[in-house]
Amino acid sequence: MNGKNPKIPLILDIKGNSLDDGPGIRSVVFFKGCPLSCVWCHNPESKKPGPEISFDKTECVDCGTCVEICPENALDRSNAFFIDREKCTLCGLCIENCPSGALSMVGRVMSPEEIVRAVIKDKPFFINSGGGVTLSGGEPTLYMDFLSALLQKLKSEGIHTLLETCGLFEWASFEKKVLPYIDTIYYDIKILDPDTHQKFCGAKNHRILENFTRLHRLLPDTGVDLLARTPLIPDITATEKNLTAIADFLSNQGITRARLLAYNPLWHEKNEKIGTPDTFKNNKKMHEWIAGEKIETFHAIFRKRGITTG
Amino acid sequence: MFFFQSPANRIKFSPTNLLLNTLLKVFAANFNFRPKLKQYLQSDQGWIDFSIGFCTDSGTVSAAVICKNGKVSVSKIIPDPVDTLLTFYSEKAVIRLLSATPTEQIFMVLKGELSPTGNASYLNLFFFFLSLLLSGKQKKLMEKERRLSTQNLLKASPVPRKELSDDLQKRFQYLMTAETIDKNVKYLNDPFLSKFSIDDFPRVKQFLDDHFTVKPEVCPELPKLVTDWYKKNGWETDRAGHPWHPLLRKAQAYKYLMENRRPLIRENDLIAGTTTTKDIGVVVYPEGHGSMIWGELLTVPHRTLNPYDVSEETLGILHHEVFPFWARRNFREWVRQEYKNPLCQQIDERFAIYFTWKQATISHTIPDFPKLLRLGTSGIIAEIKEQMNAFDNASDEKATLTAMVLCLEGLTGYSRSLARHAEEKAASEKNPQRKAELTKLSKICSQVVERPARTLDEAVNAVWISWIGLHMESTNAGLSMGRLDQWLQPYFAADMEKLTTDAEKKAYIKYAVELIGCLYMRCTDHLPLTPDIANWVFGGSSSDQAITLGGMTPDGDDGVCDMTYIFLKVTEMLSIRDPNVNARFSPGINSDTYLKRLCEVNLITTATPSMHNDSAVMESLAEFNYPIEDLRNWSATGCVEPTLSGKHIGHTNFQMMNMVAALEMAMNNGRHPLLDWKFGPDTGKIETEQTDTENPEADGFKTFDDFFNAFTTQFTFNIDQSIRYNEMLGGAHQQLRPTPLLSSVIDGCIEKGKDVTKGGARYNSSGAALIGLADVTDSLLVIKKLVYDEKKVSLARLKKAVDENFENDPALHAMVTRKVALFGSGSDEAVLMADRVAKFAHDHYGSKPHYRGGKYTVGFWSMSNHVAYGTLTGALPSGRLRGKAFTPGLTPEPNASKNLLDNIRDVARLDKKNITNNIAFNVKMVPAAGDSREKTVGDMFSYVKTYFDLGGMQMQMNVVTSETLKDAMAHPETYRNLLVRISGYNAYFVTLNRDMQIELIERAEYGM
Repeated sequence: MNGKNPKIPLILDIKGNSLDDGPGIRSVVFFKGCPLSCVWCHNPESKKPGPEISFDKTECVDCGTCVEICPENALDRSNAFFIDREKCTLCGLCIENCPSGALSMVGRVMSPEEIVRAVIKDKPFFINSGGGVTLSGGEPTLYMDFLSALLQKLKSEGIHTLLETCGLFEWASFEKKVLPYIDTIYYDIKILDPDTHQKFCGAKNHRILENFTRLHRLLPDTGVDLLARTPLIPDITATEKNLTAIADFLSNQGITRARLLAYNPLWHEKNEKIGTPDTFKNNKKMHEWIAGEKIETFHAIFRKRGITTG
Repeated sequence: MFFFQSPANRIKFSPTNLLLNTLLKVFAANFNFRPKLKQYLQSDQGWIDFSIGFCTDSGTVSAAVICKNGKVSVSKIIPDPVDTLLTFYSEKAVIRLLSATPTEQIFMVLKGELSPTGNASYLNLFFFFLSLLLSGKQKKLMEKERRLSTQNLLKASPVPRKELSDDLQKRFQYLMTAETIDKNVKYLNDPFLSKFSIDDFPRVKQFLDDHFTVKPEVCPELPKLVTDWYKKNGWETDRAGHPWHPLLRKAQAYKYLMENRRPLIRENDLIAGTTTTKDIGVVVYPEGHGSMIWGELLTVPHRTLNPYDVSEETLGILHHEVFPFWARRNFREWVRQEYKNPLCQQIDERFAIYFTWKQATISHTIPDFPKLLRLGTSGIIAEIKEQMNAFDNASDEKATLTAMVLCLEGLTGYSRSLARHAEEKAASEKNPQRKAELTKLSKICSQVVERPARTLDEAVNAVWISWIGLHMESTNAGLSMGRLDQWLQPYFAADMEKLTTDAEKKAYIKYAVELIGCLYMRCTDHLPLTPDIANWVFGGSSSDQAITLGGMTPDGDDGVCDMTYIFLKVTEMLSIRDPNVNARFSPGINSDTYLKRLCEVNLITTATPSMHNDSAVMESLAEFNYPIEDLRNWSATGCVEPTLSGKHIGHTNFQMMNMVAALEMAMNNGRHPLLDWKFGPDTGKIETEQTDTENPEADGFKTFDDFFNAFTTQFTFNIDQSIRYNEMLGGAHQQLRPTPLLSSVIDGCIEKGKDVTKGGARYNSSGAALIGLADVTDSLLVIKKLVYDEKKVSLARLKKAVDENFENDPALHAMVTRKVALFGSGSDEAVLMADRVAKFAHDHYGSKPHYRGGKYTVGFWSMSNHVAYGTLTGALPSGRLRGKAFTPGLTPEPNASKNLLDNIRDVARLDKKNITNNIAFNVKMVPAAGDSREKTVGDMFSYVKTYFDLGGMQMQMNVVTSETLKDAMAHPETYRNLLVRISGYNAYFVTLNRDMQIELIERAEYGM
């Protein structure tokens, strides 16, 4: 079942004690696999649905155990990425014998029951803080049935659920299997122009915008809390033109609340661990934080249209 | 004097021996022929006679300095017996000692380069003599060392990061208001008192500024007065030549002290009386550890950490009149003479295994303030006189009760002197407002402490005056004030009820805040005497005067009242280290609003209060079957430890025990590696030569349980030795310094006619602080998993790596630190292991008879000893490297988990039954920039509330970033009041030694 069944997701990680992924203290379940492939993706290890080996050179003590043990001779210190991913068969022998944990497998199979067991221990914290479980990724809606089963279990435990989604999903299935068990949705609207979206995110955005509008219209019936979010990526999403278009799109539907996500240049390090070259190596802007004053002008675009972004 | 085993066969003396003898002869000649120095050989009782020997472990060096009848001579043969013997482990160390600064001298002892045996006062006297010759050089060396370290810090961080220090100051600006009002809050409309700031109280603000700017000074008043009295009236025998009854001797000397000490009222203060004659005075208790400062009298004003001034006059008094009288008449020397330098004392004096607090004091309790306020000293005296009828005239009980009366009379006398002094000051005061205040103070002091308190003013003054009285009786360490919010509330309420208009009520609430502000600042008027070694072992600690707030009342009602919030307001505004504020939270009884306020105060002050779960603390004391109303009336003592208020001598910090030492001894067959001293039992060798990974049985311990047993055998040995020493010192206190005044305000003593030092209190116990629970647990987990369960590593390979500080085996170091689930990671096995260690300790301590009745209790907190003991410990199987600090209290290792909730859950689910002396669980949290006050406080509240829901006992948060701490290290001038929790107590970060600062920086930091 090791990531071979397209309906069963691999779980990247379950991060406890998160205060930034929704209200209160939360556990965040990261799904592996995404229908988009945004060039700036902050969790690059979540793009591919299958398992991957991660190598963190800062953790390595250079003992050489893995190099000797690898049956495929895929590991080589002279390789900048250390692992030859063409040769590697993901057998896991090196990981098993690595004393430092520098080598690790990204993505593991977990049943909904196992996930619930892993998060339920934090329920007392959820209760006192008004928190709960956030499902993120990757894209959880790639696995509609699994997601549905997991959500139902969480709801039956009385746990608040929040979905972070890119919006590229099949509506009918979502409405039936997922929507009834969701308390809050954080919905990414990254780029409004379909061609630009295609260019940077690897797919057109018609369905994303359509799904958003449908969801918004349904709000009075579902009682779901819907929040549109836009990540600020230098020169890609964070342009006056794009943000104005998004703000207009939202205000036209009477929406008064959205969120702009600050840019974090530290994501480049993550790429290296899974052997992906840094395509923005020479792009200085992509390696810096965005200046405070600049961010303020972005927020102003939304405020001008009656949308708070706090 | 003590006899030592002279080496029978002398080995040839080395050149060092010749050099040493020559240097000592130069030393002797200086004192014999220079009158300016020779005068120091003399006390007002005659010449100071003592001898001190020097030798090496191998016998290549032998020399002695003998001071007798005003002459200093040097001998190649060490007299036997000798007062003090210094054994060096290398020849280099011999010469180095003579030119070292006092701090370096200490480190030579701590690091095992030399081992002193015998009279500690004379060792300090010898150091004082050395510094008479060398203080100029010593001061220069200290200055240079300081300069170098500052330069290095500034190189790393040349520009102060103003945004970081500003962030801390900004926390005082926005204040939350209370959402609900607790049922027993009757007068405050906004219990959070959010409209006040320190600027509304200029008087208190001035005191606060003084606190940070006035240099403390050693005060000779107490030691001078009592030493004078003993010289005149005799110590061993009275003037008629009869042996003294220790209680009557103490009581008469005490009464003389209280009637003759200067009554002082600090300018502008609302509270009368001072602990010393200095603005901020350092108290010297000569029968305790007073003479520890002898060697540093000339250098203490110049030392880097916590310098004090010593005037020439004070130096003269202490050297010529005080210390020589007490050099053999103190707790340590009493034990040494009585028990012939016992092993248990020798172990203590090496600092690496345990520290026994009774060499300085017992203290550590909560007096029955409600009784004192209700009856006054006159009422208590009447009760004692009544009780006297129950005993024979010649009985010990009668003498004890007589002593109590004398002490209470002494205290009353002091209070009357204050009343007279206030009246005199009022007469000459020009400012009419201050004149009125002084006149009022005079009236207050005429009423209290002699008669019952009737107003908040009288009650607060009575608390403070008797507080001084108790500090004049015995050394101030952890003597605590108890539940002042509960006990002062009736007086506050009575005052409020007399007022009619809203304006009057508002003004009075403000006055109450100011008055409690003055009380806090009074508590800072003195400092404990800290020899430089204590800067390393107990760095930055004041005398830890704990106050306890909130919780439930003795009959189970909500204890949170108006005064609770007034105390919290003062805690927030002043943000000072002492009093050490501890807050109780009773789940189901106290409100969320109250808990949120505790979190907000913690956020603003960065470090206080410490928070306790009433249910868990009470559950931990279940085995003692205390009556429920007494149990509900517990207060924190010193750091965090529970004491039943007014009825309990729990000496809750009788020792600081390094548990890790037993683990090291188990790995070395009873030998302590750093001290290179085998004093523990044989428990089996680990042969490091053999590295047979297939066959761990070859290592001497067939199973993990065999190794665990070796650990507990060594631990048992250390515990038993430490308890022996504690009981010997307990005897010393009964003889040298009984405490009849304290006994008169601890329930049970009057009825039994028995002093507290002999078990007069209703409840008795002694509590240990066990240090290194996480480090021991993690090390045992590594051994169990990698050596025995998975057989991945032999014990021999692990021991070899530990011996070599993992320097030659990085892969093993990676494995032990990454591949074993540690305590705090959410692993059931790790929690069970911690419980197993704790249960062993609890059961073994609990099985030992206790000299005053009751039991020995165990807690898991560390003051700052996790740093000091860490310095004296090699690498551990857990992967912790040589010399690094242990974790504070029982806080999990920083890399146990990235998820704070795992830490919280694991600590919360430890078995409370094994923790009868509380814990210190430290968490470093950092608010996210841009979050609102409500959001940050809400997050803190969620953590604490859930921790308590899960059964956690105690929690303390440092709400400050490592970046800020680093900035404070390099630029202390902008952070004078940056408060941090060490383990159980608060300190100013910039006054801590370097190792402690680094330990705080390296603690795991959790964002909010």
